[in-house]
Amino acid sequence: MSTHDRSENWGTSEAVDIDLQRQRHLFLKLAENAFLVAESLRDNYFKNTAAFITALRRAMMRQDSILATSAVDDLAWDDCAGEVVTFVDGGVGQVQISSQVPILLRVGSYCVRTGERQLASRESFGYYPVILGDLEGGSKERKDYIDIVRISAELLGGLSALDRTQDLNVLMFHGPLMYLVEAYAGHAPFTERDIDLFLGQYGTTSDQGRDLKEEFLRQARIDIYPAMTDDARRLVERRLFEPLAWIAFLYRSLIRVARERPKPPVIVGVVERGDLREFIETVLLRRVFRGLREKQREDYFNTMYGRTDLVSEKALLDRLGYTDSLLMGMLLRPGEASEPWEVGKFAGLRGGQMGLPGEASTMPMRWEPLQPPSPFGFPPIVACYVHVSETTEPIRVEVFKELGIEHLREAARRAYLYARLLPGYGFPVGLDIADKYAKVPTWLTDAYGKIIRHQLGVSLQQGEISDADMRRILVQAIYMTHRDWLFRPQA
Amino acid sequence: MQDSNQHHELNAYVGTIVGESTSREFRLAVAHEAIREQDIIAVDAQLRSTTPGVLPEQLRIWAKVQRIERMNPLFPSEAGHELAATRTDPFDTVLSLSREMVTAVCQVLGAERFGTDAVGRLDQLRYPPQPATRAYRPASEDLVRVLLGDLGKNDRRALDIAVLANRPEVDVKVDGHAVVTRHLAILAMTGAGKSWAARRIVEELAKRQYPIVIFDPHGDYTGLADVKGLGNRVRRYYAQLPLFEEDADTVARIVSDLGYGLRDTMRFRFPDVFEAARSFFDCNDTELAKRIASLGELAGNSVHTYGVQPNMWLIANMASAGRFAVLDGKTSLVTWDWPELARYNRRDAATLEAIEKRSRSAASVLHRMERINRSIARAADPLPIDRRQIVGDGSISIISLAGYTSDFQATIYSIIADDLFEARVQDPDSWPVLLVLEEAHNFAPAQSRTPAESRAITTTRQIAQEGRKFNVGLILISQRPSRLDETTLSQCNSYVIMRMVNPADQNFVRRVVESLGEDDARMLPDLDVGEAILSGQLVKFPTLVRLKEPESAGEREERDAFAVLDEVRRNNPSSASAR
Ligand SMILES: Nc1ncnc2c1ncn2[C@@H]1O[C@H](COP(=O)(O)OP(=O)(O)OP(=O)(O)O)[C@@H](O)[C@H]1O
Ligand SMILES: [Mg+2]
Repeated sequence: MSTHDRSENWGTSEAVDIDLQRQRHLFLKLAENAFLVAESLRDNYFKNTAAFITALRRAMMRQDSILATSAVDDLAWDDCAGEVVTFVDGGVGQVQISSQVPILLRVGSYCVRTGERQLASRESFGYYPVILGDLEGGSKERKDYIDIVRISAELLGGLSALDRTQDLNVLMFHGPLMYLVEAYAGHAPFTERDIDLFLGQYGTTSDQGRDLKEEFLRQARIDIYPAMTDDARRLVERRLFEPLAWIAFLYRSLIRVARERPKPPVIVGVVERGDLREFIETVLLRRVFRGLREKQREDYFNTMYGRTDLVSEKALLDRLGYTDSLLMGMLLRPGEASEPWEVGKFAGLRGGQMGLPGEASTMPMRWEPLQPPSPFGFPPIVACYVHVSETTEPIRVEVFKELGIEHLREAARRAYLYARLLPGYGFPVGLDIADKYAKVPTWLTDAYGKIIRHQLGVSLQQGEISDADMRRILVQAIYMTHRDWLFRPQA
Repeated sequence: MQDSNQHHELNAYVGTIVGESTSREFRLAVAHEAIREQDIIAVDAQLRSTTPGVLPEQLRIWAKVQRIERMNPLFPSEAGHELAATRTDPFDTVLSLSREMVTAVCQVLGAERFGTDAVGRLDQLRYPPQPATRAYRPASEDLVRVLLGDLGKNDRRALDIAVLANRPEVDVKVDGHAVVTRHLAILAMTGAGKSWAARRIVEELAKRQYPIVIFDPHGDYTGLADVKGLGNRVRRYYAQLPLFEEDADTVARIVSDLGYGLRDTMRFRFPDVFEAARSFFDCNDTELAKRIASLGELAGNSVHTYGVQPNMWLIANMASAGRFAVLDGKTSLVTWDWPELARYNRRDAATLEAIEKRSRSAASVLHRMERINRSIARAADPLPIDRRQIVGDGSISIISLAGYTSDFQATIYSIIADDLFEARVQDPDSWPVLLVLEEAHNFAPAQSRTPAESRAITTTRQIAQEGRKFNVGLILISQRPSRLDETTLSQCNSYVIMRMVNPADQNFVRRVVESLGEDDARMLPDLDVGEAILSGQLVKFPTLVRLKEPESAGEREERDAFAVLDEVRRNNPSSASAR
């Protein structure tokens, strides 16, 4: 990627002021920050931020640019005519009584053939609900319990989408392709019954589901569990699925299936907004501080803000509250993507204790073996930021490094193209569609809720959901108008 | 019966009940194009009995699709604007176009109980149908049964006039009793098929020997005579205004209204002339011969040429005769019930001359109207002196009103209708009758502008309000319902409502016709020619139908204007060479 042509004017403080005022969300974010930062920083927070951004812009325009950008607005709908795209989105349904107890997890998928006129072959939707109460594994007392379930369900949704659509070109997930998995260590393993429950939701044939399950158990027995614990037999005998090992396996399965295709599909996660600052901390500011050290101007920030403690990337961000989207919103122009970087989400994978379903005792585990580049660990991820429109924050696009860096560019161009249809939201429209489709329909009164009710009504009617209890719950969820339906005894 | 239904349901699934349902209304999630507005559908239900130990009751809930809502909630309008701005075809993008949500709002018609002998009877539903139940398109025979209800047992009453608009294989029969006694209104814009509908109904009633009198301003019904089996019962009458049954003032006004205004002096003398003319025939034959001879001597040529008839010419001739009598000092006319003549002076003679001129002109206009009337009525008979004679067993009498101004039509109508009604009131053995009023807004207008109209309103209202007791029924046909007298219309218990685009008419109909639902009314502008919403006592529930074709043709079925031109050209060979 190369530095995009920029006019001289772009690097002036006037231009920065104008852009700041035009991008109202940035302006508001800065205003909010100004209240949160230390009092001594508050006075000139705006002015200094603008000056900092101006300096960064200048640094980007130099020959040895501090940050490379590239245009991603060079793709038209005609260019991707005939492409098959599947959007996957998972979400949680909560019953809002006293505490917010999640009860249902749903993954929705929306597959579309662009350019296809025949509606029946153009689009297909999938809806995969998982009732959390049915699962035996996972540590339900933990707040992030729902996340490991969601990640598993989404990845299975993605796998089944790949499976069903042999000519798939793009598989796009709502959210990070890779979550901060290091945080999820220590959850109790899933049981085989749990996994069957997951697999049962997908359109994949039972054979494929069984193969997937058995392949994991085989690898777990031979390589994974022995690397993770000294007492692998305990897990193997009970045919348990350690959540992170299982999730890593699903990631690798996605890559494996993609690679088997003549033209591997682009697999991408798109993240909206957020307070992440990984990119500026590990890439941009690292370069800035290095440059300052090179020029022996280590005191640049301290002088500018009148302090003494702005000595590192982390310190600077902690004190000033800058985030990726804040700075990238000012440094990228609509239609541009940042240079890629490799996302680090695995450094925290260490050792710890893990409980077992139905057992009181815990067992010691090691999660380091799941760090890349382990053959059975998580795959590395590369990402970039894409700025869609002036009124929205940049979105983050993530792909698997192993499928090739050119996938990132293809992903970014498509994310931009799809997001242009929602300029006010700045997020790929297909993900919005999958999201709306998958929203748990209880007490949703808006139009989107209606269609889910409608679709579910039809699925129920057509016997697509046969499990009696599931039917009951769904029927109630769909049709009851009050919130307390779940706790009503059956008539 | 249940088994065959079960089998049928499988093929006829139309949707699933979603959302909130009440015992009056529910919503169906339906597949795209699976259903049409006004379709009749059914849902099975089970109701627990209130008596313990008794098996649950099996019900079939019948409902009608009132309206269909269609939306694509997955298509953000923001994206629509973006597509428009960039001229992008949505099919080329990743937008979703397939997930339209189609919801049918259904109105519950009633519940049919299985396993009872109340076949086809619809009872009030008292408990809402269950969400997630499937709705199905009922088998034709089930539909027929429900549409017919108790009428099924009484074929004579069931008039076969229409089919379901959305399911032409299903006949819709209506209650003839309601039609002939409880009054029917056929309302629609022009060309929507009112006369077709009326003719079909008339034919069905005629098959059942019901006596009918049709007031036909356009010759729409002359074709009835050509229908096999009816021909010999159809009588067409041309209508002459029975002048001498009116009072002098009315006739004076008629002369004025025809364009020959009478001044005050003339008005003052007109009653004398009129009375003399009226009583001209009140004598024995010898006397009458003498009178005719004298009239000829005094009034001149036209008497010799055309003879003497009780008409406007007679008034003109009488005025002329009176004038010469005054000028010549003859007083013999005094004995012709003209006592004042003896005191007339020369000024009065001049007045008589003016009355004569005006009456004569009016007479020829009237004559022209009568000629048109007769020609449209085609070989018709004059109305009998005793007008009650036009009603007999199975008689179909068509009173042609074509050619007359609406005032004349109203007057003629009132005179005849009053007589027929009076006959029924006085003599229970006289024939019941159904009066068919085309252009009913002329016979029962919302606002009367002339005495003739006021009188017609009085007549029509009376029949509308009391006719039921005496078996005198009305069929009112109008293309301008909002110009109809509301009292009269609200006395109608049955309605055939067809295409109607005028908003004033739509609103009026919605207001007056209670049995017509909001959504039914909203359909009116979109109906096809020949389609109608039947509503009121003639049907079990408002039903969208297509009227069957009548056997008779209407006089006015329009011919292609250029075909007519060609025909005339053929009959005038000279015109071809002239060019
Ligand atoms: N049920 C029907 N099916 C098919 N065509 C019909 C039907 N009813 C009427 N038509 C067509 O529409 C034409 C007009 O019908 P009709 O004369 O009954 O209309 P109308 O409402 O009485 O009009 P107007 O107000 O002019 O008297 C008919 O000549 C016929 O061609
Ligand atoms: Mg007509």
